[in-house]
Amino acid sequence: MRNPAGWAALTAFSLVFFAFIYAPLFVIIGYSFNSNPVNMMIWEHFTFDWYTGLLGLSNRATDVSNRAAYVESTDQMLAALRTSLTVAVITTTISTVIGTATAIALARYRFRLRGIYNGFLMLPMMMPDIVLGIGLLIFFVSIGMKLSMLTIIIGHCTFLTSYVFIIVQARIAGLDPALEEASADLGASEWVTLRKVLLPQLAPGILGGALLAFVISMDDLVITYFVSGTGDTTLPVFIFGMIRRGVKPEINAIATLIILASVVIAAFGLWLRSRKAD
Amino acid sequence: MALRRQSVVLAVLLAPVTLFLGVFFLLPLLIIALFSFLSPGLYGGVEWTFYHWNYGRIFGWADGVNEIFEPIYLKILIRSLGFAALTVVLTLILCYPVAFWVSRLSERWRLLFLFLITLPFFCSLIVRLYAWLLILKPTGLLNTILLRAGLVSAPLEILYTPTAVVLGMVYVMVPFMFLPLYVSVDTLDRAQVEASQDLGANRVQTFLKVILPQTLPGIAGGSVIVFIPAVGNFVVPDVLGGAKGLMIGNLVEQQFLSARNWPFGSALSMIIMAVVLAVLMLSVSRARRAGGHA
Repeated sequence: MRNPAGWAALTAFSLVFFAFIYAPLFVIIGYSFNSNPVNMMIWEHFTFDWYTGLLGLSNRATDVSNRAAYVESTDQMLAALRTSLTVAVITTTISTVIGTATAIALARYRFRLRGIYNGFLMLPMMMPDIVLGIGLLIFFVSIGMKLSMLTIIIGHCTFLTSYVFIIVQARIAGLDPALEEASADLGASEWVTLRKVLLPQLAPGILGGALLAFVISMDDLVITYFVSGTGDTTLPVFIFGMIRRGVKPEINAIATLIILASVVIAAFGLWLRSRKAD
Repeated sequence: MALRRQSVVLAVLLAPVTLFLGVFFLLPLLIIALFSFLSPGLYGGVEWTFYHWNYGRIFGWADGVNEIFEPIYLKILIRSLGFAALTVVLTLILCYPVAFWVSRLSERWRLLFLFLITLPFFCSLIVRLYAWLLILKPTGLLNTILLRAGLVSAPLEILYTPTAVVLGMVYVMVPFMFLPLYVSVDTLDRAQVEASQDLGANRVQTFLKVILPQTLPGIAGGSVIVFIPAVGNFVVPDVLGGAKGLMIGNLVEQQFLSARNWPFGSALSMIIMAVVLAVLMLSVSRARRAGGHA
């Protein structure tokens, strides 16, 4: 830019923009250490009580309200976290396998319905999650399937497969098909070429797709909200319910931990990408 | 022989996605379409008779016997479209200058800020919305600051208003607008911009005739990616909006989880789906036209 005053204004605007994005997260982190249980926005003094409370260790529980209810909700939250992790691991595995297979099929084979598949695989990502959520809800109830962890896993896989597909497909597009042709010319069967030549080259893309699938699965709220029954819920649905019932200071602590976890995962993803570039 | 083996491998690769998405994606959408034309059962569920009054109730041809036309549904639909459009415009206004700024930074800073913009994408949506709940509450951070500073005499009522809903949507959608915009701004042909300036065009002319047309694909892409999840959103209005911030997604949720009128909820979902497909088709045909010219 030729105009320094213009550049300064642009810089100021941009920094305000980034402050707008990050300030709310810092608000949560800051208040997760505030000891005031009645009005958590008025600062009392520094405390770790809400973090120890998450683990059921805090004696604050007695003065918050009903101790039994308090411990129960903590247990529920830990159960929700477990469900989230279980669901995320299983859905990541399934959707990575299906998505990768699909990406290979569409990149390496010519067949009549190829264009239709390519377009169709975009739909689960573009369809608003509420539509997919209620569609699955009606479907499961209609065929008499009980809402459980299984229905949550199915729900997540429907759209995560497409995300993995996109990431792996982008990776295949950057590969040199000559290597596979050489493998075929040297007498390797199609399966062997696939396993020993194509898959190793795809590994970073597959890992990237799996990471994305894991993150989105951990974060999904809407589809899980509709297809989880009264039993298993995931962490986002649990937090959603907690917010609806009224805010408790422990939410700040769990939210801070979630923010921390997401920073770690994002940094890991960045590191993965920079390695890929080498 | 070789040909047959290839088709076996292809079939093995494609079978899982075909089966899975066929059963758990396509079929549920078809069921929504079907249910939207059935009549509601007395105690939840459906009765298997053709019934177009679900749509009549929304669009106004209900006869008052089968269903009653309630203009509120149409109003909420229009409001949802309006909120989503406003979200698109606001994210665009916020992201466009910043994308420009980031693209002009040195490599080190550019990578840092690109990382900072993608980071919220990894962070839980519900956590980010919850932060705004803390900020906007009558006793929240914003009002505490404003009151202490003496800027207002009574707490501002922002939470549970349309303003809060649009603010929340802008906040969660910003990364989706930024990335496609950034790609198109980053690949901008700077020689053309300089040529335009050297040839005597002023800044407004250069922007309108050189920069804007070149970044149009990014603007269009970002707008579609923001508009679609915004129009069917139910979490943001649920957490931050009150009665005046209700969107069509909330109506759908109510029909399924409290009112138990599945056919009517399906009809409302069909409208969301129709809006989404219309927007997608529009953007694809626009991209084709633009591609044809290039």
